[in-house]
Amino acid sequence: MGTINVSREYSVKEKMFLPAIIQGMIITLKRFIQGFIFHKKYTIMYPEERRNYSQRFRGMHFISVDENKVENCTACFLCETVCPAECIHIVAEERDSASNPYGVRKEKKPLSFDIEVLRCCFCGFCEEACPKDAIKLSRNYELSILSRQEGIYDLNHLKREVKGRG
Amino acid sequence: MSSYEISKSENYLNYCSDKIRPLPVTGPDAKPLPKMTLDGQVVEFVPGDTIMQVAERAKVASRIPRYCYHPGLSIAGTCRMCTVEVEKAPKLMTACSTPATDGMVVRTRSEKVLKSRSGVVDCLLASHPLDCPVCDKAGECELQDYDYEYGPSRSSFVDEKRVFPKSSTRKLSDKIVLNMNRCVACERCVRFTDEVTKTNDLVMLNRGWKKELTVGDEDKGLYNDYQGCLSDFCPVGALTWSDFRFQKRVWFLRGNASICDRCAKGCNIEVHSEKEIIYRFVPIYNPKVNAHWICDEGRLSYKMVTNSHRVIAPLLEVAGHGPTATSWETLIPVTASLLKNSSRALLVLGTDSTMEECENLRKFFSKFVQNGEIRYFNGTGITTSSENKALDHLLRQNDKTPNTKGVESLGLKPLDVAGVNGFDTVILFRSGRAGIPSVAAAKNLILWGVWSDEEVRAQKNVRALLPGLATQEKSGTFMNCDGILQSFKKAVEHRGYGLDVTRIIEKF
Repeated sequence: MGTINVSREYSVKEKMFLPAIIQGMIITLKRFIQGFIFHKKYTIMYPEERRNYSQRFRGMHFISVDENKVENCTACFLCETVCPAECIHIVAEERDSASNPYGVRKEKKPLSFDIEVLRCCFCGFCEEACPKDAIKLSRNYELSILSRQEGIYDLNHLKREVKGRG
Repeated sequence: MSSYEISKSENYLNYCSDKIRPLPVTGPDAKPLPKMTLDGQVVEFVPGDTIMQVAERAKVASRIPRYCYHPGLSIAGTCRMCTVEVEKAPKLMTACSTPATDGMVVRTRSEKVLKSRSGVVDCLLASHPLDCPVCDKAGECELQDYDYEYGPSRSSFVDEKRVFPKSSTRKLSDKIVLNMNRCVACERCVRFTDEVTKTNDLVMLNRGWKKELTVGDEDKGLYNDYQGCLSDFCPVGALTWSDFRFQKRVWFLRGNASICDRCAKGCNIEVHSEKEIIYRFVPIYNPKVNAHWICDEGRLSYKMVTNSHRVIAPLLEVAGHGPTATSWETLIPVTASLLKNSSRALLVLGTDSTMEECENLRKFFSKFVQNGEIRYFNGTGITTSSENKALDHLLRQNDKTPNTKGVESLGLKPLDVAGVNGFDTVILFRSGRAGIPSVAAAKNLILWGVWSDEEVRAQKNVRALLPGLATQEKSGTFMNCDGILQSFKKAVEHRGYGLDVTRIIEKF
């Protein structure tokens, strides 16, 4: 394998270093004056203050529920099929027919529905593929976690009554 | 003797069954075969063929959609999906029931035909619930496929859909669940129980809008032994197989051809698996063995392969603990010394071993053991293949192992009444199907092949266990009860420490 030499001769200005240092110090001084004398802010006071993101922002996932707090998901596996990151894992089962007022409409349900959020790329394909409008991406962007285990969202975590887009 | 390679070809699968295939006349009065034009292509055919069969023979069967037509059943001509345009005929003709004639000109994709098919699909979908997300047929559903290909872009119906409250999810038997809302009334299932199983346990009740599938006798229910086939050929998700219900979406499954080893018939199957886990068996068309069908017992026999109690690691007896998991490197020298030091050794081959395994084990045994004998053992109620008899007029056999005839053809003798008396070391080789002879008299017992935890615990004198591969996990050759040699390839990868016989022999 050949190598390409990309080194070049430095110009006189570059060799002296001093002009670059002065240039940098001028910027520092400018920001110092703006901040301390004119109180101009470049950051916000999060979490008291929030940025206003787009209505179409894709954040934390949730599974919508109906009026009886039963998930709308029927474990059709379309989100698992379409997911490019392969981060959705579903196990399906039959809903107990005795406690199923919906009849044939909701006879299939997810036994477990896990999303590995550390793998997820928030493309929103699952939301697009879902025929029951069950899985959605909310506008919640506060996804920080303390351990890798928390990065797997299970059905209990996902099942939420959310108004609008959250 | 030549053997058949098990594989699935679409043309072969779609071909009409042999009983209605007319043979061309040969001899001195033989005339040249008649010709017809099919979509501009001139094709020869055998007198008596219908247009559908001509299309299948010309390998353009996929151009004609069908619901009620099934190659293994009689022709009904009720669904009107397979209509084609025949020149000089005033109306569209059904391809499945119109006999081809000399000089006929048939168009399968003309504008008139496509309009008719679009109308048929529209009417079928008028009261179809469109619950594809819940339906297990989605992905292999003929209604889905044909609607995508021929259906209208939007329904012309605004009325409420028909619902059968009692038959929305009705268990016809332990194995089959009926959802009548999805049914397109093709009556394949009714003709199947009428003509193939001859049990008549499914009938259609009422007419028109209220037409409903139900069991012939409410007390008996659905009782034939080929119920899984109903779910195979049901073009929609009306009849679903309980065991596969909600287990897996079909588009994840990978299908590989293999042989069902649950009985001596050796039905050709396709093993559907994902990530090397088997989810179901479906039949492959083979006119010489099983035609289009397999029995329920064979269909459920994949459970032995995926059994969670199956031993998939080498076991070695530790004093006071019984058989304990170990590695091949530890196990092989111990087994070898056991065999070397035995005064008289016996190898019992289960009749579920392939021909290749029998040959390899025989060579290994005669080379490795000085004073040895080889016997075969069936143990499923019969001793030799001559005692085997068919349990019904279709496929099921008394002999529940796949290769009794093949093992006999290698010149082996059955394990006689004396059993293992007089032998101090006994090797039992089986692939999970053959019975287990009583071997309590032997001092050392070496198990080889596919064993479950319970079977190993039942034996008190196990010194070692060498895990092997189940039929679907290996390649080989079986001779079925009719003497047909069938060779098959590996359908799924083994997910344990089990090894093929040749690989284990290499280690000695």
